[in-house]
Amino acid sequence: MAVWEDPFQKLSEDLKATLRPQREWVAGRGLFLLLGHFLSGAGAGTWLFSLYFELPAGLLISLVVVALGGLAHLIFLGRLGRAWRIVRRPHSSWISRGLLSMTLFLISGAIYWWLDRSGWATGTLGQVLWGLSLLGVAGILLYKGFVYAVSKAIPFWNTPLLPPLYIAYGVRGGAAILLVAAALGVGGIELKPLELIKLWVVVSSAVLVLIYLAGMSNSGVAARRSVAELLGGRAAVAFYLGVVLLGLVVPIGLGVFSYYGSVSMAVLGLVGLSSLAGDFYVKYCVARAGIYMPLSGEFPTR
Amino acid sequence: MRYGMVIDLKRCIGCYGCQIACKAENATPPGVFWARVLKQEAGRFPNVRRSSLPLLCMHCQDPACQQVCPTEATTKRDDGIVTVDSEKCVGCRYCMMACPYGARYFHAKERSYFGQGLNEYEKAGYPDHPTGVVEKCHFCHHRLEKGQEPACVANCMARARYFGDLDDPSSEVSRLIREKRGQQLQPAVGTDPSVYYLPA
Repeated sequence: MAVWEDPFQKLSEDLKATLRPQREWVAGRGLFLLLGHFLSGAGAGTWLFSLYFELPAGLLISLVVVALGGLAHLIFLGRLGRAWRIVRRPHSSWISRGLLSMTLFLISGAIYWWLDRSGWATGTLGQVLWGLSLLGVAGILLYKGFVYAVSKAIPFWNTPLLPPLYIAYGVRGGAAILLVAAALGVGGIELKPLELIKLWVVVSSAVLVLIYLAGMSNSGVAARRSVAELLGGRAAVAFYLGVVLLGLVVPIGLGVFSYYGSVSMAVLGLVGLSSLAGDFYVKYCVARAGIYMPLSGEFPTR
Repeated sequence: MRYGMVIDLKRCIGCYGCQIACKAENATPPGVFWARVLKQEAGRFPNVRRSSLPLLCMHCQDPACQQVCPTEATTKRDDGIVTVDSEKCVGCRYCMMACPYGARYFHAKERSYFGQGLNEYEKAGYPDHPTGVVEKCHFCHHRLEKGQEPACVANCMARARYFGDLDDPSSEVSRLIREKRGQQLQPAVGTDPSVYYLPA
């Protein structure tokens, strides 16, 4: 077998490029990382809405989705057996903080769900677990954006706009999961307020996406190239079909229509699914468009 | 004590000797380049200039890779060398996203350079390169312990590389940086690299 086949051929080309794309967090097993980010965010959002609307089934769905997100994170790792080591640097690494948040949420959330199911959630222990689970949710919603935002090597990510964007997408993912659950017959979900909240969050996330892209297109050469990759390059199909059409146009269009008119549960379920697809694609597109700051422009000269 | 390197771009001829010397010394597998050379063409015909930029881990004083590493696999030694403990690395590749110099590589799968299984040289060298973890240049610390220079320095045919103690004002590297206005790459990132370049 020849040596210079993919992925080495690709790496070889990348290393020669002035603007080198990152591939580790998007290609091959990198997709599991993105899936982990997507599921954990949407699961955390589901917990928030389920607590607010008092939906025991939603609480359980949230726990399952976050657990699947954690599993996807683990599958991505090169050395799964050492995953426990990730908790060792919460003082400086957002990945450590993310894993700790997820662990805190899954443990406190699972016990709270059991107490809630047994009717004991209103006691002191229940309230403490309620608070801890919310702390875990806050960590899960926060950490993903910061994981990217602290990376100075990739200017497209190195912006304070990413954390609010990822929080918004986590929250709307939670609403979308509950819409899908309602369409599948999970009872007790009040659709009207949920639709309104979802519509508001989707519109907010659309505004955030626009601000993010506008800000990045006025940044350095690598960030501008990333925007170009999204709007007309190798991530364009995923951006227009996934982020814009499925993630924004369909949920906003049908959301407005369903608020003023009436649509079937099946359509609402489709809105939820479409929105979830958009949530995944926004994470995919951000990762796919990541380009390292150029070194070749740095050739020291007198 | 802070080990550092000075690369004289005026002397560098872009021969890839450092890259090959590093591969020969450390038996790095396919897809892993602890040392490499970036080429750039500038200008328009007939006034074209081709320049080379040798790259390696910058062994930063304030390494971005160490800050983001969740497992304490990346550490900075007292002599300034930034190392990766392959026994602690989980292969999350966050350090690769944080490094502004593209100096880190993920060794995904063991492969031979020549097909048909590993040859004797690779069999001897690859145990130092476990799969599923990130690796990078360590300034050939095994050679430093024997009083030798890193392989890329010792084998540079143009004598474009200098190695020494940046904390010692009388060392050759400190003198060159001072007298020939040594520059760091991407200083705005704030990592304070220990590799300096003398302008071409």
